[in-house]
Amino acid sequence: MKTERELMDLCQYAVSVGQKRGANAIEVQCDSRIDLDAGIELGEVNSVSRSVGTEFAVRLYLGKRMGSAFTNIPTREALDEGVSMALSAAKATTEDKDWQRLPEPRTYKEIPGLWEEAVIKCEPDKVVRLTADMVKKAAAAEEGLIAAYGGSGTSIHVMAYANSSGTAVAQKLTSAYLFLAGVAPTGASMTPLVQSYDVKRGLQLDMDRVVDEVASNIRLCKKKVKANSGKFSVILHPQAYSELLQYTLLMSVRGDNVARGKSKIADKIGDTIASPILTITDDGTTPKGMHTSVADDEGVPRQRTPIIEKGVLRSFLWDTYWGNKMGVKSTGNAKRNMRQGLLEIATSNLVVGLGKRDIAEIISGVKQGYLVRNLQGAHSSNPESGDFSIVGNPAFLIENGELKGAVDGLMLAGNIYELLKNAVETAKTPHYLEGTIGPEVVFKDVQVVVKE
Amino acid sequence: MFDVLQKAVDVGRNLGATYVELRGEDGFIEYIQMDDGRINALTQRIERGVAVRVLADGAWGFVTTSELDVLDKAVRDAYSMAKAAAPTRHEPIKIAETKPYKDTADIKMKRDPRSVPVAEKIRYMEQMTKVIRDYDSRITAVTVKVRTASGLKYVVTSEGTQIRSRQLLVWAYPWVTAKEGARLSAARFEEASTHQGWEYMEKVATPEFVGQQAARKAKLQLEGVPAKAGSFPCVLGPRVIGVLAHEALGHLSEADLTANSAFAGKLGQVVAAEGVYMTDDGTIPGEIGSAKYDDEGTPTSRVEIIRNSVLTELLTNREYAAKNGLRPTGNARAESYLFPPIIRMRNTYFERGDATEDEMLEGIDFGYYCADFRAGQAQTNASFQVGIQEAYEVVNGKIGRPITDLSISGIATDSLFKIELISRKEFPFENGRCGKGQEALVGSGGPDIRFSKGGITFGGKT
Repeated sequence: MKTERELMDLCQYAVSVGQKRGANAIEVQCDSRIDLDAGIELGEVNSVSRSVGTEFAVRLYLGKRMGSAFTNIPTREALDEGVSMALSAAKATTEDKDWQRLPEPRTYKEIPGLWEEAVIKCEPDKVVRLTADMVKKAAAAEEGLIAAYGGSGTSIHVMAYANSSGTAVAQKLTSAYLFLAGVAPTGASMTPLVQSYDVKRGLQLDMDRVVDEVASNIRLCKKKVKANSGKFSVILHPQAYSELLQYTLLMSVRGDNVARGKSKIADKIGDTIASPILTITDDGTTPKGMHTSVADDEGVPRQRTPIIEKGVLRSFLWDTYWGNKMGVKSTGNAKRNMRQGLLEIATSNLVVGLGKRDIAEIISGVKQGYLVRNLQGAHSSNPESGDFSIVGNPAFLIENGELKGAVDGLMLAGNIYELLKNAVETAKTPHYLEGTIGPEVVFKDVQVVVKE
Repeated sequence: MFDVLQKAVDVGRNLGATYVELRGEDGFIEYIQMDDGRINALTQRIERGVAVRVLADGAWGFVTTSELDVLDKAVRDAYSMAKAAAPTRHEPIKIAETKPYKDTADIKMKRDPRSVPVAEKIRYMEQMTKVIRDYDSRITAVTVKVRTASGLKYVVTSEGTQIRSRQLLVWAYPWVTAKEGARLSAARFEEASTHQGWEYMEKVATPEFVGQQAARKAKLQLEGVPAKAGSFPCVLGPRVIGVLAHEALGHLSEADLTANSAFAGKLGQVVAAEGVYMTDDGTIPGEIGSAKYDDEGTPTSRVEIIRNSVLTELLTNREYAAKNGLRPTGNARAESYLFPPIIRMRNTYFERGDATEDEMLEGIDFGYYCADFRAGQAQTNASFQVGIQEAYEVVNGKIGRPITDLSISGIATDSLFKIELISRKEFPFENGRCGKGQEALVGSGGPDIRFSKGGITFGGKT
């Protein structure tokens, strides 16, 4: 694998080539990765795979005309060709009058704990052992539990970014994960797939917690219960609400959607749009976040941006292009699709504020309601209006403070802005997920529709 | 390319691997995105890479690389990784026998998208943006995406297979936002071909056709009424019944998922109402999921998943064919050299019945007609959800007011028994994309199908 310095040299080389050939602005990003994974199928380790690749995305301007290119060959010759292709694209396209400039040089804060040497040294036999142990533990944890999918793996990621304004930043990250997705037979059918995972920068992964979460949820899924339609309290696990928020609220806080008239809350900064118990922050600097990094994908330092504070809408998320157009600063939320050359605004780590009570204590106080661990169909929500109509699966009935069993075909329908106002409590312990750090959230008066 | 891949296959064979497969790709890929007339991305790339898959001691090792000059190392890596996994297996992986083929699968196209000038593609997108904007003054934002690909794929195996296939894609996707007062609506549409070149965009997926479809749906939603919550008699149109065939049943019939799903152990059993036939067919000329061979070099085929209400066949690759004693159906597909091939659908559909158009809505006092979907998702317990972006009330047997966003859901294994009528009318396939950890282009369809109350749950708001 090439070093940060070597990748930066290649990025800066491509920038200089672009400038020499007439680009008035050019940026080059490089992502170099080694991913090692051991996968499970049908309760056994099925395969081990290693993916090695180095990718370069070139984006440049001729006047105000933009062109981009991609190459997965880490040589100067390939970058020469990439710059040529981006120049050809820019010549063919139309002028973007709103484009102003690329990001200017900034200072970066060091974030500890993003790189662990132990991950570099992890060999295939280690991830195979980890995966096999997890399969064995899962089978022993609950009768009938089959580790249907999952696995473990490591990722080594080195990035570099340089542009013609003098911005240059390189960083390196490691990660390791355990992922378990289990099912169990239920007479004539099967439980839904129940998933849990642990992902960290190093190898200190909590296998017991992952197995226990899957096993305890499978146990509940085996007990099918009937439920009623109507308005009920619903507790959403962060795995569930993070997905729903991604396709609704978080689309509307993207600066590009605000500027393009695609956000329902474009004029609501300073207004109360959610319950006062809700505080939601985008934090790209928290050491425990898996989307934490020194800089975003256009070299702008990551930061902590309050989105909703005690129910009040505080900020939208911006990249450089849309920030410049709207007269605000980038919040360090640019994300680049390397192969497509597309720069979009995206959250880093979504952090949801904590409450005071443990989740078990909260459940013990619910007379009738539901706990939803995962969703089907969040991606079919309407990002513009915030309307959603989704299935909770697995979804568990709570009666008189106890989890009674799983409900098949439990639908939740509503609008995200009404739902956010109906949040009544957050639990006190966060779950550390990929891109979300948050506790369970309790919502009241949620429209529940059950299968007749 | 064949020579390079064959040499690497020989390295794996000499190491003692049971099976070695190299899948090489060399092609042109392009992505353009236009937001409100502004080009937001315009990337053309030449991508070359190889996927190496080795079966050794009953386990798989997989390596992907873009460096063709070190393929022997990639094969050795894949072999050693398979060997690392093997000791943990109770049952060694075997693959079903297939005939090795030496063949070239070409596509006759009129305009290779690689040769179409970028300026012409931009004009296509500008025209689509204009068509959409002109459709209704309340349309406030338009994003148009275009993807094209043109290249070659090679499959070489230690069993003697050497196949070269043409890879082709032209794809258009608009996303439309409309606004009236504080009310916002959104709709999408997509059209694509893997068998025609840019001429498909000139004759079929024209800016007018694709643009008007998306604009019309956004307008209808702006004018729609909220759906009721609960279960109602309903008719699902070709685009929605197709996604139901794909999400609710097709995935359960993928042999790697079947064992963990509500279809486990149900081969040969009645799983649907009488007269229901559902098929996945990779051999239909010109359809988006069709190909001559799959990514293991197995010829594609027609798979009769449900035949007159009985679960008859599953979709397989060579591994799951051997595991289940079934035939390899040619459904092993990989998005690109970056992924191993897994079992995927191709063109999945309910077959036509015998009901007339008049019969389909007859006798429904109140219900819904669902015409188009936004997205869908299935689960192992046969639970399905389909987000609906175009639907209408049915009142006294007639199509009525349009509906705003909603979704439908159900447990497929129950819903299939609530099918009352299947239309005899011809239907077009919907060209879409499926995500199962990697993308596959798939066709879905079926005639209008009517469900009685209790078959489909509507996640409405009132």
